[in-house]
Amino acid sequence: MKTMKHFLRSIAAVLTLLVLTSVPALAGQVSISVAASLKDALNEIVGVYAKSHPGATFQKNYAASGALAGQIEQGAPADLFISANVKWMNYLKEKNLVDAPSIRTFAFNDLVFAGATSQKIKSMNDLTRLGKIGIGSPKSVPAGEYAMQAIVKSGLEQALAGKLIMAKDVRESLMYAELGEVDGSVVYRTDALMAKKARILFTVPATLYPEVVYPVALTVAGAKNADAKSFHAWLKGKEATAILKKYGFTVK
Amino acid sequence: MHLTPEDFSAIALSIKIAITATVISLPVGFATAWLMVFSHFRGKVLLEVLINLPLTLPPVVIGYFLLLMLGRNGWIGVFLKSFGIELVFTWKAAVVASAAVGFPLLVRSIRLGMESIDHQLLQASRSLGAPWYDTLATVILPLSLRGMLAGSSLMFARSLGEFGATIIVAGNIPGLTQTIPLAIYDYASSPTGTAMALSLCIVSVALSVSVLFLHEVIGKQLEHGGKA
Repeated sequence: MKTMKHFLRSIAAVLTLLVLTSVPALAGQVSISVAASLKDALNEIVGVYAKSHPGATFQKNYAASGALAGQIEQGAPADLFISANVKWMNYLKEKNLVDAPSIRTFAFNDLVFAGATSQKIKSMNDLTRLGKIGIGSPKSVPAGEYAMQAIVKSGLEQALAGKLIMAKDVRESLMYAELGEVDGSVVYRTDALMAKKARILFTVPATLYPEVVYPVALTVAGAKNADAKSFHAWLKGKEATAILKKYGFTVK
Repeated sequence: MHLTPEDFSAIALSIKIAITATVISLPVGFATAWLMVFSHFRGKVLLEVLINLPLTLPPVVIGYFLLLMLGRNGWIGVFLKSFGIELVFTWKAAVVASAAVGFPLLVRSIRLGMESIDHQLLQASRSLGAPWYDTLATVILPLSLRGMLAGSSLMFARSLGEFGATIIVAGNIPGLTQTIPLAIYDYASSPTGTAMALSLCIVSVALSVSVLFLHEVIGKQLEHGGKA
């Protein structure tokens, strides 16, 4: 009994220590919640920014936009939110969780079809000749939702039924294409550019799906954080734009 | 509580996959447990580590290995393809994933059952001239039944919850490979899916609780050994 009590007490002590050390926002710390497809570009952007602003440290959280919006709604620490679609930004705006005046467009992306197949695939209609096609799960992955819209709009829904392999995110569907487990996947151009074996076979016509927009905004907490505000403003500048373009994003 | 037709197909699929994985694994699990309990051979420790590995490996690792082995370029995948069998991205891949992850639990329970068998019974059987296979069929098998039941229920419950390996090797295709945990993941990835996610969570908890309850009841009987 005594040892048990002792054990419980030490666990409590450890937990208290963890809570005390993890919660307070340090001065100069910026927590960013960013759509997973921006991961590599944002890592480089943050690296460049941190070099010229030595006081600022970053806590980076990359995940699916919907999941991030959910986390922010539940009170996760975040100063800046970049979503892979307008839907989740609006969702937080309606709940007054983001600072509305700070919302602006950060970047644009395109959908492409990429694969390692030797067949000549040049258009949406050619997809019917393939066996397996990877897309993100339309319910939870925006890229998958757009891909499904493009398929429906081209009238291929019936022809491709049973051929669609749905992955938990864009990167997983690209991984399937890279391993040759699917003939190709509908992914963002920026992801396809990183692939080694899978090549971009065609760009999905922009008329088939809504424009892929990445909006950025400060959260209500972030609007009070001077470092977050200056980072938010810096993202508009030349250096950040150049890095975005390097990774295949469009900036207008 | 609101379930869509897709949710019902996810529930049915989960149960089908868990049952298939358990039924297929049972004879192999029995043979393995028998080997571990009643025979002595070189490399037994190695086999033990191999069997228990899926308990500690991240399921994602198992899923990735399975994808590489069973896929179009994997050696098992190529071999099966020559018979026209394709596993990856089908419900059968989910069965393989569940079987791999649940197997150690099954073997563990059967072993516990076998180890509790009275050795005098085995000696009696041998001294009466029964060959090893006769002893196996008439003494060990009937006395291991409860262990097999307990192990099967545990493995069944584990298979119902399999996520990490399944989502890699089987994908997340509604109606084809989307099991309960995968459907919950889909809902949980968007804040508007909370109510839908919770409904399926309740189903998941109810299933697990009932199977584990059954497992406990069987376990209690097992404790009383052959006397019950």
